Amino acid sequence: MPTRSLPERSEITIVGGGIVGVTIAHELAKRGEDVTVIEKRFIGSGSTFRCGTGIRQQFNDEANVRTMKRSVELWRKYSEEYGFSFEQTGYLFLLYDDDEVEEFKRNIAIQNRFGVPTRLITSEEAKEIVPLIDISEVIAASWNPTDGKADPFYATAAFALNAERFGAKLVEYTEVKDFIVENGKIKGLKTNWGVIRTGTVINATNAWAKLINAMAGIGVKIPIEPYKHQAVITQPIKRGSIKPMVISFKYGHAYLTQTAHGGIVGGVGYELGPTYDLSPTYEFMREVSYYFTKIVPALRELLILRTWAGYYAKTPDSNPTIGKIEELDDYYIAAGFSGHGFMMAPAVAEMMAELVTKGRTDLPVNWYDPYRFERGELRGQALQMG
Amino acid sequence: MRTLDLTEKDPSKRITIYFEGEEYEAYEGEKFPVAMLANGVYWLTISTEGRHRGAFTFGPVPLTVNGVKNINGRKLRVRDGMRIKRQSYDEFQEQVNVDRDKPVLRYVVDVAVIGAGPAGLGAVEEIGGKLTVALIEERGWLGGDMWLKGVEQEDFGDPRGAIEKLTNFPENVRVFLSTAALGVFDRGEYLLVPAVRKDQLIEVMAKRIVIATGAVDSIMLFENNDYPGVFRRSDALEVINVWGVAPGRRVAVVGAFPEEVLPELERWGIEYVVVPNPRRVEGVGRVERLIDGNGNVYEVDAVIMADGRIPDINPVTQAGGKLRFKRGYYTPVLDDRHRIREGIYVAGSAVSVKPHHANYLEGKLVGANVLKEFGFEAEPCTYRERLREYEPVGRQIPRFPLDEFRGEDVQICGCGVTLKKVDDVVKSGITDLQIIKRLTHLAMGFCQGRFCLFNGALLASQRNGTPMGELDMPVARPPIKNVRMKVPAGRD
Repeated sequence: MPTRSLPERSEITIVGGGIVGVTIAHELAKRGEDVTVIEKRFIGSGSTFRCGTGIRQQFNDEANVRTMKRSVELWRKYSEEYGFSFEQTGYLFLLYDDDEVEEFKRNIAIQNRFGVPTRLITSEEAKEIVPLIDISEVIAASWNPTDGKADPFYATAAFALNAERFGAKLVEYTEVKDFIVENGKIKGLKTNWGVIRTGTVINATNAWAKLINAMAGIGVKIPIEPYKHQAVITQPIKRGSIKPMVISFKYGHAYLTQTAHGGIVGGVGYELGPTYDLSPTYEFMREVSYYFTKIVPALRELLILRTWAGYYAKTPDSNPTIGKIEELDDYYIAAGFSGHGFMMAPAVAEMMAELVTKGRTDLPVNWYDPYRFERGELRGQALQMG
Repeated sequence: MRTLDLTEKDPSKRITIYFEGEEYEAYEGEKFPVAMLANGVYWLTISTEGRHRGAFTFGPVPLTVNGVKNINGRKLRVRDGMRIKRQSYDEFQEQVNVDRDKPVLRYVVDVAVIGAGPAGLGAVEEIGGKLTVALIEERGWLGGDMWLKGVEQEDFGDPRGAIEKLTNFPENVRVFLSTAALGVFDRGEYLLVPAVRKDQLIEVMAKRIVIATGAVDSIMLFENNDYPGVFRRSDALEVINVWGVAPGRRVAVVGAFPEEVLPELERWGIEYVVVPNPRRVEGVGRVERLIDGNGNVYEVDAVIMADGRIPDINPVTQAGGKLRFKRGYYTPVLDDRHRIREGIYVAGSAVSVKPHHANYLEGKLVGANVLKEFGFEAEPCTYRERLREYEPVGRQIPRFPLDEFRGEDVQICGCGVTLKKVDDVVKSGITDLQIIKRLTHLAMGFCQGRFCLFNGALLASQRNGTPMGELDMPVARPPIKNVRMKVPAGRD
């Protein structure tokens, strides 16, 4: 069980106890490493517990498709082993004009090349998958039945409890204040509860990554900024009413689906920031209601239970930064997920565990190279909604 | 008269309604649960977990009315010939009418007062005539909890008479009844209070806000505490004093504050028994008997929880207020002018539980503070002095006999959160209230924790030894009252 007592030393220390930090700790502990997670509030409290629950392989470039394909394999494996809910109920992108259809045909070709079985379907087929949607303006849909969703609370708790089972330590309500560095080597971290001696630090703080990078004193330019995105949930309704994640770029860059608990959850592309403020706004409540009821008219009569906000920790190309920072021995970063941290976490954890223990990985980590901004080699914008 | 009618009703309003195909006598405009209670029918709905429920404890009461699903049974007013059916919690209307959006009603005022109980009315009395006021009241009446009282109140005397005196508003006070505020949002020099009345969206822009949203009744933990026939104190008082219907023929009053109910029962000659330590309620589909911690059995047909009240912290935390734990409950942290932050004042039992007249004085105090901000002469110190004569009510922190309960029968929340569900999470190694909340869905349903979060906090505290004041308490998110999505969906 997560504690509030800081160990004196740990070979590897992960800063940030969201899904990324916790799954990295889980993979490292499983490989026999001595690892501690330091979380300034409670596990999942940053962006993980605020996320939209979706897990998709329908990306628009090779690296993200490959990473997400591996992630989905791991989501399936661990959900079965640890008994939390991961449902492969698919992602359904509703398409409204020819340009959109052409763009998705290109994406589908990339996805198919790496074994992701996405296909273009008719609006009538889309209606069969989700009878509640309004297809009067829909001309086609992009459908991958192997995409899915998981419960962020149960999933994160399961990874946390099993990381501990393998010997990882999870320390909550503890905030990193500074790095102790001697001759370019990390010697420890100062926290509000004292010092932890450590030789390797992994920055998994996502929205706060730039603050930890500044403490580490690294000179590399890694632009990650926190943007406020919001989500809504309605009263629970009959299970199976909206099985897949339904996406509509036309109507507000919206995503929506039904949680295992029965509520309809989702968000729209209403972005504020950069900011650390997380107070939900009235404008969002109006925007999301307008767009959601266009996509699924039956939502009109459902009660909104609440709205909330979380961060998209965004990089300029909406791809995360994952890798080793050479200027400081040994410092790694896995942050800037731009709204995709929850879905990517299991693959990122594997990637990072291999990098830390073997210095290499077969997963396409170069795509997420933290030095790409300094070199001015931005990636294509990762497909993003919400 | 119907089985449980206490008063004669207007015969010209007598109508017939049909519930599950059976014919019942009712009165035009009566609340549906009251009409059914008067006929001796307590069981109105079935929870997702298959539990029989009435409308007077917790959990939603969705009904199918004249073929339309998912109508809120708590608020439903009956009309002649209405055909009403039970439905499960998760049924909903799949085919909906997309009617034209109503334009938003917008108002700009000096002060928005949320809550028209004695505190809100005190604030309005102080500032009315000098400043423009929007008084927003969720319920269909003015006077708040005092309107439910039938007996004389300390320093106020007759409650109805006192309310009448306080509601002779000057012209610049606009009253919004049956209107639920959805939250408080910053708008530069103004604060925005969106609100909803039926399906009408209302936006009130105000320079200052007074939160006078009152307290909620504590839900007691015992087995089958959600059975049809179990009443919250406020619901029992409402059916008696507003609707003239008895909660039952013989009722048990449970909890640490029976004196808040007994005089009202005595006034109507309702037979009662006081049971301080309820353990279990039993019966077939409704309350038939109550068993206490010593094994005594009481044959009753209703149970009224009178276990004290606690401030409703949701409007305060949504508006950005911080909390502290004092006198046995969470209370907003206020500055010396009774504000949670610049522009937002709190008064009444939203601050601390005390007699109606003390809440009224606190409303006057806050009103005087507001007046001073607008440059008027006012003397808050005189109200502050008088307020000192009232010591707020303290509540003992209860210790539940957790290990003696049948955990699956003790409901912490109407949304299927049982004592067992919470305990299972605690036993898995998780003791943080924030994570317990997310794994059990405590405080994540219809009431957003208004009725269940406090008991969840007590449980987490009792199980892991963390003092109540040190728990990481979740804050309420907008909308602080449920709203149908079509209401904010409108575009104008």
